Amino acid sequence: MNEMLEQVIKRNDTWRGRQDYFRAGGASANSNLHGAQGLPTGYSTLDAELRQQGWPTDGMVELLSDGCGMGAMGVFLPAMEQLSEQARWQTFIAPPYIPYAPLLAARGIDTGQILMVHPRSREDLLWATEQALRSTTCSAVFSWLGAQEYRYSELRRLQLAAADSDSLAVLFRPNQIQGHHTPASLRLQMREYRKVRILKQRGGQRVIDVTLPPEEDSPQQPQLWELPQNPGAGQPAGAAEYRA
Amino acid sequence: MSLWLCLRFDQLPLQCLDRNERQPVVVLAAQRVICANDCASALGIQPGMGSATVRALAADEPVRLLERDEQTEQSCMHQLCSWAYGITPTLCTWQEHCLQLEIGGCLTLFRGLQPLLAEIIRGVSSKGFSMLQGLAPTPKAAWLLSFADKDSAMAIDQALEERLAPLPLDHLATVTQGIDSLRRAGLHTLGDVLALPPASLGRRCGKAFTDFLQQLLGQRDDLQVSFTPPASFTDAVWFGYEVKTCDELLPAVQQLLQSLCHFLRNTQLRTSEVTWQLVGVDHTLLDLRVRSASSHSDWENWYQLSCIHFARLQLTNGVEGLNLDCQDLQLGQQDSIDLFSPRNQREPLAALLDRLRNRLGLQAIETVDCRDEHLPEFSVQVGNELTGSRPGPRNRSAQRPFWLMPQPVPLRQQGESLYWNGVLTLHYGPERIEDNWWRQAVSRDYYIAADAAGQQYWLFRDRLERRWYIHGVFA
Repeated sequence: MNEMLEQVIKRNDTWRGRQDYFRAGGASANSNLHGAQGLPTGYSTLDAELRQQGWPTDGMVELLSDGCGMGAMGVFLPAMEQLSEQARWQTFIAPPYIPYAPLLAARGIDTGQILMVHPRSREDLLWATEQALRSTTCSAVFSWLGAQEYRYSELRRLQLAAADSDSLAVLFRPNQIQGHHTPASLRLQMREYRKVRILKQRGGQRVIDVTLPPEEDSPQQPQLWELPQNPGAGQPAGAAEYRA
Repeated sequence: MSLWLCLRFDQLPLQCLDRNERQPVVVLAAQRVICANDCASALGIQPGMGSATVRALAADEPVRLLERDEQTEQSCMHQLCSWAYGITPTLCTWQEHCLQLEIGGCLTLFRGLQPLLAEIIRGVSSKGFSMLQGLAPTPKAAWLLSFADKDSAMAIDQALEERLAPLPLDHLATVTQGIDSLRRAGLHTLGDVLALPPASLGRRCGKAFTDFLQQLLGQRDDLQVSFTPPASFTDAVWFGYEVKTCDELLPAVQQLLQSLCHFLRNTQLRTSEVTWQLVGVDHTLLDLRVRSASSHSDWENWYQLSCIHFARLQLTNGVEGLNLDCQDLQLGQQDSIDLFSPRNQREPLAALLDRLRNRLGLQAIETVDCRDEHLPEFSVQVGNELTGSRPGPRNRSAQRPFWLMPQPVPLRQQGESLYWNGVLTLHYGPERIEDNWWRQAVSRDYYIAADAAGQQYWLFRDRLERRWYIHGVFA
């Protein structure tokens, strides 16, 4: 496409008419809402800071974390609960461990929709992610890319596939690649529980730290980040007590 | 009004074996010629000659002498029947190499006789066979008229007796007896016979002959056993040259899958497994099985799945032919997509499962399920098959991690501290879980511990083994 046209389209104040606006449940074409409506995250502070008031469904979300991710999955649990109404697959591609099904069931997610894919090679991983995004049968695709190097062009393919589909696409990557350029439309980092750092957002300029308030968690569901308030349990003794 | 079309494949014994037109090819049965191609006829080879005569006539020309292969002929006729089932449901084979199609009921579908005939000609020539046609209100008349010249064979407006009149009586020799006596009496054509009073013909030649004539003219019912399509499908494409790369196979793959899906749609069946067989130039066979989780008859879906398999295939030697075999056919319901839902799901859920399974293997795709058990590793069930999800566990207030390790990993204990990527400090617990006493007793105290960075883990101390393990991660 023409370069000047590209630049005009990339600007903040250009509104591009898209298929999503004409959905049955969405806003009408001449409404004041000029951005695509995102999927509500379940946390009002995070919704307020995200460009689309929710998770973007027209692009990828990249989440950087160390090791097992401090609350990386807990951030998505309310969204997963909402998406399980759609009765489509929620795909985990190359997950590090097994998701604990009773916890998911207690949080209101239908475990029959969870699909775990274990690809054997890097190409298979990228292919499986792209297939899951391009098929219209997934409502959410969570992909653990691991510590390998990925070229910008490969990630861009995934971004285009995510843009074409209406599924929530999340890539989990290690903290080391923070300096690398990414085509994802939203880049988050989690370094402690209940604190999400928005590193890059399409249309946003600065790094924002968002605290997820504990008041918003639904009380009847088991919590993931807090120690339980069990009045009966005292402070546990250290490991030394058990050596006998 | 019933209208029968007879397709007589006179060169079938030859064309099912070798369609070479550049060399004279002759098919022999018991050392007598039954079929010869155009080059061979040009040399003067006629059906009925002996092989020695053929060689003498051929002189220096390289003539190929083939033995008649009845099995190949039958399978070719079978394939032609399966194809013709797409034109009309009432068809039968007649004698050896004839197909009788009842097309009176199909004229409206094909919008007229001419388009239907054009479709038939196109279908047969795309399969590589040559045929002679005859069109008449009765099947036996249609067969006889296929021996006539082209114009009268297809002219249905003319009266039947007029068209049958010039045909010689010799053709009837294969169907009825009593022809010799008629010939001795000086009757040579069918017109002569039809002019005679039927009662005296019956006294002379027997009741069977008059019955035949009545069936011929449509005065008596001629019931044939109709062809029913079989419960399996085979089709093949013969390249005739050596194919070295998989990309060249793909158009043939597409063609075979389209004919499979035509067949499936005609017979209202579905399949969930398809077998490809590649025939190499050195006559080796390579089998490829393509499976699908849901049985369907959509050729594009099967094409995508087959492409996944073909993309991984390395051809070591050239491929000459491609066979498609489908044995597993069932009646089935097709699952439909909800038309009115706001989301745009364009294919059934099983389609993604098929694609992933066909490329990554059956073991690579798993689903999770809950079970009502106390021990955490038993309460999560991981499997390759899809199961219906069961209701959640009763204990909703217990704190549980998101990730569960498949096997608990023993922790390194040094002095008083536990190590896992750093020192772990216990924060909450214990929660005792004891179970499985009937098989192997398990008694554990579960704690929630955090490491230096703040990541919380779910560990337990096995009281029987007196060791610490890590079992889950709160993510």
